[in-house]
Order: sequence, then C-alpha cells, then structure tokens
Amino acid sequence: MKKIIYATCAFLLVALLIAGCAAPATTVPAPTSAPPTTVPPTNAPAPTQPPAPTQPPAPTQAPTKQNITLTYMASQDWIFDADQALGKKFEEKTGIHIDFQIVPSDQYFNVLKTKLNSGEAPDIFGGQSGVTDLKLQYDVEKNAVDLSAEPWAKQEDPLVTAQSTVNGKLYGLTYWDTLSGGWVINYNKAIFKKYNLSVPTTYAEFKALCQKLLGNGIQPLYEPISDGWHHVLWFPELGPRYEQVTPGLADQLNANKAKFADNPTMLTVLTQLKELYTLGFMGKNALSDAYADRDKIMASGKVAMTVMGTAFPQEVEQAYPDVKADSFGFFVMPLADNQLLNLNPAGPTKFIYSGSKHIAEVKAYFNFLTQPENMQYYIDNNPRALTLPFPGVKSKFTPELQAFMDAHKDKRGTVYQTAVNYVNPQWMDIGKDLVAMFTGTLDPSGVLKNIDQRRADMAKTAKDPNWQ
Amino acid sequence: MNIIYINPANLTTFIQQLIMRNKVYPFYFVIGALVLYLLFFVVPSLMGFFYAFTNWNSYSSDVNFVGLENFELIFSAGQGYLHYIANTIVFTVVTIIVKTVIALALAVLLTRGVRRLAPLYRMIIYLPAVLPMLAVSLIFRSILNPATGLLNTGLHTIGLDFLAQKWLVDPSWAMPSVIGVDTWKGVGYLMVIMIAGIEAIPSEYFEAAAIDGANSWKSFRHIMLPQLTPVLAVTTVLNLLYGLKVFDIIFVLTNGGPGHATDTVYTIIFDEFSKGRYGVATALSSLLFLAMIGLGYLVIRVMNRDIEG
Repeated sequence: MKKIIYATCAFLLVALLIAGCAAPATTVPAPTSAPPTTVPPTNAPAPTQPPAPTQPPAPTQAPTKQNITLTYMASQDWIFDADQALGKKFEEKTGIHIDFQIVPSDQYFNVLKTKLNSGEAPDIFGGQSGVTDLKLQYDVEKNAVDLSAEPWAKQEDPLVTAQSTVNGKLYGLTYWDTLSGGWVINYNKAIFKKYNLSVPTTYAEFKALCQKLLGNGIQPLYEPISDGWHHVLWFPELGPRYEQVTPGLADQLNANKAKFADNPTMLTVLTQLKELYTLGFMGKNALSDAYADRDKIMASGKVAMTVMGTAFPQEVEQAYPDVKADSFGFFVMPLADNQLLNLNPAGPTKFIYSGSKHIAEVKAYFNFLTQPENMQYYIDNNPRALTLPFPGVKSKFTPELQAFMDAHKDKRGTVYQTAVNYVNPQWMDIGKDLVAMFTGTLDPSGVLKNIDQRRADMAKTAKDPNWQ
Repeated sequence: MNIIYINPANLTTFIQQLIMRNKVYPFYFVIGALVLYLLFFVVPSLMGFFYAFTNWNSYSSDVNFVGLENFELIFSAGQGYLHYIANTIVFTVVTIIVKTVIALALAVLLTRGVRRLAPLYRMIIYLPAVLPMLAVSLIFRSILNPATGLLNTGLHTIGLDFLAQKWLVDPSWAMPSVIGVDTWKGVGYLMVIMIAGIEAIPSEYFEAAAIDGANSWKSFRHIMLPQLTPVLAVTTVLNLLYGLKVFDIIFVLTNGGPGHATDTVYTIIFDEFSKGRYGVATALSSLLFLAMIGLGYLVIRVMNRDIEG
C-alpha cells in the first residue's frame, strides 16, 4: 500500500515539475469582440523597414491590443497618482500594462546604475537629465534609445530637450515641470505676519528671522535630510550667486581651471548651511525627517519655511483643502546673500532601455503621454506640476507665483548641477558629505575638496581632455 | 592491548562496516563537483584578482593594466576606504562577541535552566532568523525613527526620556543600533546550533562533576565550554564571514549614513560598482576575499589547537 502511495506522490511531483518547466504561451490573442485600438497619433508612419544607420529612427507605430507589461523604474518622488492613472488609461487603450517599480530615493541611483551596468535595466528608467548625467550616469548612447524622430520630440521646449540630447540625438522625455521656477523657500505667511517678519534679503536677516522664530517655539525650517538628496539643494542651486560673484566660474570649472575648494562663496554657503543646522533651525530630527511628510508638516503650521518648488502651495492645498495655496509665499535661498532665482531646465526624465524587448511599445506609451489631453490631465491632477515643457497646455500659475517670477525676470541664472560638469552625478555623495558636515565629522572645506576629488575621478575615467 | 570480541552472528555486518570504513573512492567521483567549483568560483575569483590591477570601468571598453594604483587608492588616507575597513572590522568583532555570548547564554538557559515550554521559547527566539533581512530592516527603520518610532515613543510614554536616542541618525548611535538589529536577527540561529552542541555532551560528565561537588559555573567552565569549542569554532567562522560581507542590513537601515558613519567594505563595493569603477570595486572585493580566507583559516587553526590542547 505504501509503495502505491509513494509511487503516486512521485508521479504527481514529476508531473508538477514538468508542468512548471513548460514554456509559457508567448502570445495571447486579442479579444475578438473589440476592434484593435491604436494609440494616437494615427497618422504616424510605421517603420516597415529598419532605418538606415545614418538616419534617425522612424516614429513608432502604435501597437495593437496585447498582453505586455512594461517595467518602469523610478525614484519614489518621481511618480504621482496622475502617472499611474495615465498608465491605466494607456492599458485600457492598448492592453499594455505599465509596472511602476518605485525605489527609495536614497538608494535609487545606486540601484539603477547597477542594473544598467549589469545589463538588467527595466524597459523604462527614470533619470535626471543634464548632458553630463546622460553620458556619465546612464551612458545613454549605449543604454538608451534614440528618440529624435518621435512626434513629440520637436514640440518639447528646446531648453529642455538640450538637456536630454547627446551628439545631436534626443534620448529622453522630460515629463516634468521644469519651467515654473526652481527650488525656493516657501514660507508660511501667517507665521511671518504673527511675528512681524519680512522676507530676508541677506543671510544675516535670514539668520535673525530664524532665531526669532525658534525663540517663539516655532521650528524655522523643515529640511528632510533622510532622503539623502533634498538638503543638497542648498548648495548647487545657488549657482547663479556663484556666477554673480565670480563671473565665468562655471566655464572655469568645466575647463578644470578652477576648483570648488578654492571658491570663497561656496565655502561661505556651506559654512552658513552648517550653521543653520547646528543652531537647530532645521529641528531636532532633521536627519530622520522625510520628504514624504512635507505636506503634512507644512500644513500643520508648526514649521515656518521649507525649500520646495513653486508648486508646493498647491500641492499642500490638494492634500489639505483647509490650507489654501495663497497662505504660502516665496523667496530665494539667501545663503551668501543670494537674491537671484535659480532655474534648472533639467529634471526627472524617462529613458527607454536599449536592451528592452518592447521598444516600440514604450515609444507608443511616450506618444500617448504627450497627447495634449493627457498632458493637460497630468497638469490638472498633479499638484507638483504647474505646467509641462510642451506647447498647447494650460498652466496653473497663481497670481502669487506670477508676481514672484516677474520680480525675478532679470535676476535669474542656471543652477550649478546643470551648468557645471560632474556635479549632478555625485549628488547623493554630496548629500552624505553634507550629513557628515552637519554631524561634525567633516568640515565645509572638506566637502568642497571631496567634490573636486570626485569630479577629477569622473573626468579622468571619462577621459575628459581637460583633466588629462 | 585491546581485544575485541565479536559475536559470530554479527560477523558479516562487522566485516561490511569495516570495508565501508576503509573504502577509498576513486578520484573521478569528485571531478564533476570540482569542475563546477573551479568554473563558477575559482576562475571568477582569479579573474577578479586580475581586474583589480586594471582600470576596468563602465565608461570605456579598454581595460588597461594600472599596477597597484587601485590598492594605493584604497590604502591612501584621504579616500576614506580605511574608515570603511575599520567599520567592517568593528561590526564583525562586536557582532561575533555579542551574538555568541547571548546565543550561548540562551542555549544554556533553554537546555539546563528553563525546561517548561522550552521548545516554544526556542522557536520564538529562532523566528527572526527566518524573516527576510529586508523586512526586518524596514521594520526596525520604522521602530528606530527618533521622532515617530515605537522605541522612542515607548520610552517617552513610560517616562524614560533620557534613554531615547536618535538611533540610526546619530553618528555615535548608528553603528550600535545596526549591531543591535543584527544581533536580534542572528542570535536565534546561533542559539539553535549551540543547543545541538550542548545536547550532544554526555550527561554523565555533568553528573560526575556534580558528585565531585562542582557547582554550575564550574560545570559550565570546565565541561560545557571545552566540549562546545568545535561548535564555537563553526559559529565564529560563520559570524566572521557574515560580518566581513555585511551589506543588506546596513544598506536598508542607514544606507551607510549618517554621512559615512556606517559604510562598510561591501556597501562601498556596491557604490563603486554602481559608479562604474569596476577596477576599484574588484580590488576591494579581492582584498576582502583574501581577508576572509586568511582570517577563517586562522580562526579554525586557533580553535582546533584549543581542542587538541
């Protein structure tokens, strides 16, 4: 009897093993009840033959309904509900599912680069645009697909496409609000009014303001350091100020004729930033504060200021309808007495992995995203985006923001992570160094020396002629 | 001279056992395993040693010999690698000591002390060992949050505010916190090994010692500990190799922070690899490989000498 039971079990196990090892069905027939749906534009020519090597690839033909999953990996702060809703809408139209793989921001670039270096990247990967990043971080000429011939490529703002272009080829879709001002200090107007405070124009005024707030039991700044990237903004975003004090500095740095460590303005900025931390202006738990809590904290009215984008007030209003967007005002980061607005045409960008088996489908997804109605949906349903770098969309600029932008119309400049090579690729490393500076294991000049050292390492590795 | 008396009825069995004991298997039995081992372990390791002397990186297809440049970089004071090596050594040494002491204490307690419901306690203590490190780390990241975490909230609730710390974000507390979480997770596994070792010690030894008037401490010191030396050798080597290779718990709990306070050799290898600096990464991993072989061998030799002694 036992033998029969054993034999039956063995037979079942072998049968299961064989069934498990069997190849899955490779195709799933489209539903016969519904006609195949195509993704606009309908007039896009189909690539019937492979393009000639010297010519840009032809725009993608929209795929028919099929059972395909596209993997899309991005940092946690780059994906919003509107992205996921558009992904579902795309799936309804095409049957192509978008699998959003969201990675914690402090680990994202390490994970992404490891995947790229080991040849296991997802179909779509998110990355920060900027020519240096494209070459050094992502090696787009090897790892990404040329998108120059896509229908949306010529419509995207030229300033923005320039940041995703290498050797004349466009590699990324910047589906991000890069045009409505950079990272500025958002302040709570009611708190400022209560304590009779005005917008500071120098660091001394800013420090005095923070001390007054702290003295009254109000935490002056919310600085989410735990994410590893946000506190870095205080340094390279002040590029316009560095350039104002030392004209041509970015060019000199790119030509390896200047060093970060030799620049007194940068040293001042880091020294003042450290002072903000050590004086307790960022709160007792800044090192563990998280970017994800920004809305909740600022809506609570317990913190007076935070460095955020100009869309932040609307973001807070959407999350907390009782807190109106006009309860926040803006001013530029006043370290080193800066009064210039920082602009950055680069931003989180979508790339197609060159090793993807579904390049045509991803191109169709990008085409779908850049349809006017979908872009408008994105703007209307994403508080983080006031506009997108494409014509024909209706932006959400408030009168407050418009006035702020107008006031800085002639007082603006480009941030250093975009203007200076080899800065953005070491963003997270700078973040670690700044934390070491805050906690006393590294001094401001040490942070600058480390930046120079990493720049030299990257430049030499990339065989930059200015470093040979 | 010892004389062995054999029952003629069991002679056949005895002869079979004798043959089996002295049987020498042919070498080709091991060739299959040896080829796989050479192909997938030894050859890649040797290739790693070769690449450690090159400038292999993700930005160029050229791989050039650079001599000891990568090693010079690792051992130069200004680069921080020595700090990461020191962190790795601290983590390894402290976790070996703490985990071994706690696991041994628990093993003794649950074999010679607590009898009632002992299997239940063993299971509970062993449970963290089967949980994925990622899940454990994420849970502890939440528990150890200084503002909202369960630990500090609990301490504040019961009035022990002075014990509340910025566990994972204070440079002086980050490494002890990581070690604490690692101990919580790893101690059950070691405890089970040690329980097996204790239960293998013949009870007659303890009974004889008790008759001779030995107290519990003397029984532990002069019987249990020497008898457990082979087990301790195994657990020490396992802990040593684990400690030197530690990565996942640090990556999730602190990502090497705050600053570089908890960065270890493996987190830096990952960092270098992600930056595309394969040459430096392989140099670091080659050094670690040699260190693991050397230290592992040393520990086994020392422990075996103790046994022989």
